[in-house]
Amino acid sequence: MKVKFIPSICSYCGTGCGVLFEVIDGKINSTLPMKTHPVNEGKLCIKGWNLHEHVNSFMRLKQPLVKTFGRFIKTDWDEAIRLTADRFREIIEKYGPDAVGVLVSAKITNEENYLAQKFARAVIGTNNVDHCARL
Amino acid sequence: MTIKRITFLQELLAFMGLEGRLHLEWISSAEAQKFVRVITDFTEKIRMLGPNPLSGCNGIANAAELETVGGFGKSQSIQQKRLANSY
Amino acid sequence: MEMIAEVKQWLEEGTVDLFIGYKMAMGHPLPHCFVKEKIEEVDDLIIGTSRYALEKIATHITAAKPDIKIGLLARDCNQRALAVLYIWNQLKPDQIRTVNVNCCPSNLKEHGDCSYLEPETAGFFKQRVGVNNTHRPRDIEKYDQPERLSRWMYEFQKCIKCYGCRNICPVCFCQECSLQHPELVGTGALPPEVPIFHLVRAVHMAGRCIDCGLCEDACPVDIPLRLLYRKVNEIVVNVFNYETGSGADQPPFSILGDQVTLEPKPLQALEN
Repeated sequence: MKVKFIPSICSYCGTGCGVLFEVIDGKINSTLPMKTHPVNEGKLCIKGWNLHEHVNSFMRLKQPLVKTFGRFIKTDWDEAIRLTADRFREIIEKYGPDAVGVLVSAKITNEENYLAQKFARAVIGTNNVDHCARL
Repeated sequence: MTIKRITFLQELLAFMGLEGRLHLEWISSAEAQKFVRVITDFTEKIRMLGPNPLSGCNGIANAAELETVGGFGKSQSIQQKRLANSY
Repeated sequence: MEMIAEVKQWLEEGTVDLFIGYKMAMGHPLPHCFVKEKIEEVDDLIIGTSRYALEKIATHITAAKPDIKIGLLARDCNQRALAVLYIWNQLKPDQIRTVNVNCCPSNLKEHGDCSYLEPETAGFFKQRVGVNNTHRPRDIEKYDQPERLSRWMYEFQKCIKCYGCRNICPVCFCQECSLQHPELVGTGALPPEVPIFHLVRAVHMAGRCIDCGLCEDACPVDIPLRLLYRKVNEIVVNVFNYETGSGADQPPFSILGDQVTLEPKPLQALEN
């Protein structure tokens, strides 16, 4: 039985509250605020208190899904990446990079938000990046 | 046991500022006159106390009408009305 | 130190399978789990300047593995919490060993038994329209009814329903919390139904709250929760003659009849 307490930073919003993960046998069991962290001093908002939920949620996708004939079909990573890259390339060649827009969200982690905007700017080559809060 | 629990709730509500709105009485179905008397008295008592200051959804809309302390009540109630309207 | 020697002895002899105390990590005193395989870490065991709900962590570990023996670093508040958890069948007394430490010294003894933080003196506005966190219940009783209501409503309206008070409370262990039950106080709606949310919690704390103050520490908007629950426990002492956290007798708030019918944990393993 291995119990560990891992300090970390909350991955939602830009405040960056300090959290402490209670990890039992390699699985995150609950989230606690870090009392001595200068940003939050032991307090968390409801998103911070539930950081551990999305890691082990039963609703989490485990395989890429491709929409074929109106239904989602499970597929593997190579197929999914190849399909997406081909479609993006088609669209960009035909209509230009500004035809693609990327919407990020407060429900995904800060790290994923960073990756999404980097993908949009450096890979696709467009400035059309926006956030759900601005809608 | 019931008396104790009702007393507990009455004291808690009194601490909050909602005193005297909870009453416990044991009445048998054969004691019709006592029932009438108790209900009439209690209705009169509640009518004298006035409407519940927290009636209405969420309490925020009416909290603005509460007599607040220190005379700043007006500025706070304007803020609360704005809050209530935005929901 | 004697504490370190005793913990080492416990781990080596197998009196406890793991010991939960504090250790400095990255410059913060954080809870840490000391085990026999890495017994040299026990040299870094400290009492720590911050408090975490270690007994709640112990209930999680017991839920995962019911036969495990746990050692805890226990301050006064932890000991009272453990007493309550034993009564409600969440932990078994023969599986818990404690190293009792004194409460951290504080020159402000008026604010509860232990206060490692200076209690924040209420600001000017809060003193005029709200409830001062450092007050005692008798100070609130000096106000008359409408003023009490407006002061408490000011405090409760600030609530952002983060559930921090419930999540960090060491004696909150219900699997189905009424504060999340869709037919009682539901989730999602903001602002919360003031004052229903807080009064429901206050009533549930009767017979369970041991005045550790972690809820008030975790509240982002500084609602004087400790004061409210202290009043609740005062009423329990006056009306029911029961002092929470002290003895081993059954609380007067058992569910059906005279026996506590909450099943002992673990009900579920770590699927949640």
